[in-house]
Amino acid sequence: MVFAECSRNPTNGRRGCNQLVLISCWRTVMSLFGTSAGFGSGTTGVFGSNAADTHNPMKDVEVTSPPDDSISCLSFSPPTMPGNFLIGGSWANDVRCWEVQDNGQTVPKAQQMHTGPVLDICWSDDGSKVFTASCDKTAKMWDLNSNQAIQMAQHDAPIRTIHWIKAPNYNCVMTGSWDKTLKFWDTRSANPMMSLQMPERCYCADVVYPMAVVATAERGLIVYQLENQPSEFRRLESPLKHQHRCVAIFKDKQSKPTGFALGSIEGRVAIHYINPPNPAKDNFTFKCHRSNGTNTTTPQDIFAVNAISFHPVHGTLATVGSDGRFSFWDKDARTKLKTSEQLDQPITACCFNHNGNIFAYSSSYDWSKGHEYYNPQKKNYIFLRNAAEELKPRNKK
Amino acid sequence: MEEYDAEWEYSKENIQPLRQGRSASALQQALTQQQEGSHTTLNLKKQSFESELRLYNGDDPLDVWVRYIKWTKQTYPQGGKESNLSVLLERAVMRFTADEKYQNDVRYVELWIEFVESCSDPMDVFRYMQAQGIGTMQAIFYIAWAEEYEKRGNMKMANSVFQDGIKCGAEPSERLHSFHRALQARVCRQMMSSIADHQKGEEKELDEPQRSSLTELKAKGKKKNTIPFNRANASLGYARGLQFKQPLGPKQNSRLMVFDDNKAENEPQEPKFEVWTAPPTARAKENEEKPVKWSNVKLPLRPRPGLSVVAPPSRSSFQPFVEEDDQPPAVTPCKINPAVNSVLSTRKPSRLEALTPMKKLQESQTMLMQLQTVAEDGKSREQSMYCRELLYSGASEFCFEELRAERYRQKLDLEKRRGQEH
Repeated sequence: MVFAECSRNPTNGRRGCNQLVLISCWRTVMSLFGTSAGFGSGTTGVFGSNAADTHNPMKDVEVTSPPDDSISCLSFSPPTMPGNFLIGGSWANDVRCWEVQDNGQTVPKAQQMHTGPVLDICWSDDGSKVFTASCDKTAKMWDLNSNQAIQMAQHDAPIRTIHWIKAPNYNCVMTGSWDKTLKFWDTRSANPMMSLQMPERCYCADVVYPMAVVATAERGLIVYQLENQPSEFRRLESPLKHQHRCVAIFKDKQSKPTGFALGSIEGRVAIHYINPPNPAKDNFTFKCHRSNGTNTTTPQDIFAVNAISFHPVHGTLATVGSDGRFSFWDKDARTKLKTSEQLDQPITACCFNHNGNIFAYSSSYDWSKGHEYYNPQKKNYIFLRNAAEELKPRNKK
Repeated sequence: MEEYDAEWEYSKENIQPLRQGRSASALQQALTQQQEGSHTTLNLKKQSFESELRLYNGDDPLDVWVRYIKWTKQTYPQGGKESNLSVLLERAVMRFTADEKYQNDVRYVELWIEFVESCSDPMDVFRYMQAQGIGTMQAIFYIAWAEEYEKRGNMKMANSVFQDGIKCGAEPSERLHSFHRALQARVCRQMMSSIADHQKGEEKELDEPQRSSLTELKAKGKKKNTIPFNRANASLGYARGLQFKQPLGPKQNSRLMVFDDNKAENEPQEPKFEVWTAPPTARAKENEEKPVKWSNVKLPLRPRPGLSVVAPPSRSSFQPFVEEDDQPPAVTPCKINPAVNSVLSTRKPSRLEALTPMKKLQESQTMLMQLQTVAEDGKSREQSMYCRELLYSGASEFCFEELRAERYRQKLDLEKRRGQEH
C-alpha cells in the first residue's frame, strides 16, 4: 500500500473551529452507520452480527481492517502532523496505520511486518517516522513517506517499550527490554548512544521530557531525568503491592511533567507525584476494574489494569482493564467520571489523539488467563470514541 | 593442569558442599562465569528453565523443578540470594503438597529434606510430612528425621523414628536398617564412654588437672558435649554435623538410660498433630517481602509513605534507628518468625503476625495456589481474575506478555524443527 499525501488543513484557528466541526461530524457519522438508536448505533447491522453481541456495547466507531491477533499498543499522530493517523501494533507481527477522517471514517493506509509480535510503538515528534518494538528483539524505524522500515535497535531479549525523546540538544529513541537494559539510540548509528542497566526486566515505561519513568518486574520503579543526557534520577519504592503493568506520566498546569499513574495487575492505580509538597496527602491509590463493589456476599473479581492514558488537554485519565471496561477518572477531584459497559473481551490498549477529541481503545485477549482461554478465531477490534465531553474534569469542591 | 584447577582452589571456603558431591567441571565453569561477570548465559539458562516451568504440559512437572534446582546448585556454588535456591525449594515443595502421586517419590522427598535444612524448626516440618504422608515410604525421610533428633541429643526419639520407618516398610529397607544399627552402635559407645568417664572421674578427682596431649578432649561442666566420631560408616549425620550451618546442641549424654528395644514405646514428646493443613514457616525472611493481598488485612498502624518512623510500643526500652528510606515497619506483612524477632520488634504486631506461623503460611499458600483469598472468617472476599500460578510459578515472576511470548517462541521453534525435517 502506498502511503498517500494527506490533505492539508488550514492551521489557523484550527483547534477552535475544528473541534466544533468534529463533534457535529461525529453525530452525522453515527447516523450514517445505521438505525436511529441515538448516538452511534455501531456497526452491528453492517457486519451482520446479532443484536445480543456485546463486542461493542458502547456503540463506538469500529476501525476497519483491524489486526488479526491481539492488539498490544495504539498511538495517534502528534500535533505537528495535520489530520489524525492511528498506529496499532499486534501479536500478528504487524503494525498498521489508519487515517481517521473528520467524518469518522477510518481508512487503512499502510502496514509493516516484524518477525515477532509487536509490543510497543511510538511516533517521532514531527510525525514522519514511526518506531516499532517487537519480540524479535529488534526495533524498526518506519518512514511513512517512503513506507520503508529499517532496523535501528537491537537487544538480547524482546523489546517491551519504545519512546521518542526530543531534547533541546539531542533526539533519540529509548527502548526498554526484558534483558534488563534501557538503551538510547541515535537513529543514524547501529550502536546505542547509551545503555543503562536496570534491576529487572522492563514492564512498562513513559516519557515526557525531561522525565522518564520505567516500571520493572518485581515491582521496581525508576525515574530518569533526560536533560543533557539520560541518567537515573531516583529509584522509588513501589506504591503498589502487585505486579506493575502500565504507567503514564501526567503534567501540571504549566505542562511540566510532575508525576505518574501506575497500574497494577490487581485492579489498582497509584497516583504518585515526584516532589509533592505533602507526599502523604498528595499521593494516593484507587481501586478500579473490579466487580461487585458493594455486594459482600459474592467475592469481588479483580482484573488487571492494562493501560493508562492521560487526556492531553483536560489532564483527566482513562484506564482500560482485563474486565473489558474502560473508565475515566479525575485525579485532582479524586472521582470517577465514567465507566463503560462491559465488552466481551479484555481491553488491551488505549490512547487519545493529540487534541483529546478521540479516544481509541482495543478489544482483544490480553493473555490474562493463559493459553487455555485464547481463541484465535475471535475477532479483535479497535474502537474510537468522542472524548471531548466525557473527560472534562469535575469542578473541585 | 596447574592453571586448570586454580579457580576453585581460591574460593574453596565459599563453596557449599553438596551431599552428592560437585562435578569439578561444572564447578570450574560456574566460578569462572561468576568471575567474569558474564550473566547473560546464566540468565538465558535461568529464563529457559522459568519458561519451561510455565509451559510444561507433560505428566511429570516435578522433573522440571528437580532439574532447575540441580542446575541452580551446581551453578551457584556459594548459594546465597542470587541463586534463589531457597525460594525455588520452597515453591517446589509447596507446589506438590497436595499431589498424591509425588508423595513418596524419591526426588520429591529429597527436595523436602533439603528444604527442611533451611527451616527454623525442622521437627515441625518432619511431623507435618508424616501427617501428610509425604515420604513415609521412603527410608531417607526417616533417616533424616532420626538424624535431626540425634543432633539434639534425643536418642530415644531417634530410635523410635527408625522403628516407625521399619514398621511402615520404608524402602530401601536395608539402608534403613543399617542406619538404625549405626545409631544404636553410637548410642552404646556413648554410654560406654560416659560410664568409663564417670569411673575415671571418681579415681582422678584428687589429681591435679593435667592436660594430656593428643587424646580425646573432655568437656568441662555438667553438660558433656561429645561429638560422635564414627566416620567409618559414612553416615549422613557426621558430615552434616560438622557443617557450619547447624551448630550442635547440648547433649544429655551423662546419664543415659539404656533403652530397651522391646520396652521403648512410641512416646511422642509432643502430641501428634492430626490435621496440618499447611507446612510450617521456612525461615526468618526479614529481607524479603512478598506482595500479598492487603484488602482482608486490617493493620492497626498504617503510616503513609513519607513518614519515616512509627512510634514503637512501650515494650522496648530503646528505639532502634530507622532510616528515612526504610519501609515503615508496621506495613510489611512479611513472614517473620515471631520467635526470632521478639527482641527487635518495634511495632505492634499486625494482624498477620498475630497469627501463628502455621496460619500465616496457610494464608499465603492459598493465595499462591488458588485464585481465591480467604479472610480470617473463612469468607472469600476477592478473586483475582488472572492466572496467578502461571505468573508466579518459578523463582521470579512473569507478566502476561512474557507468558505469551514464550509460547510464541516455542511454537516458532517447533515449526523450525519441522521445517528442517522436510
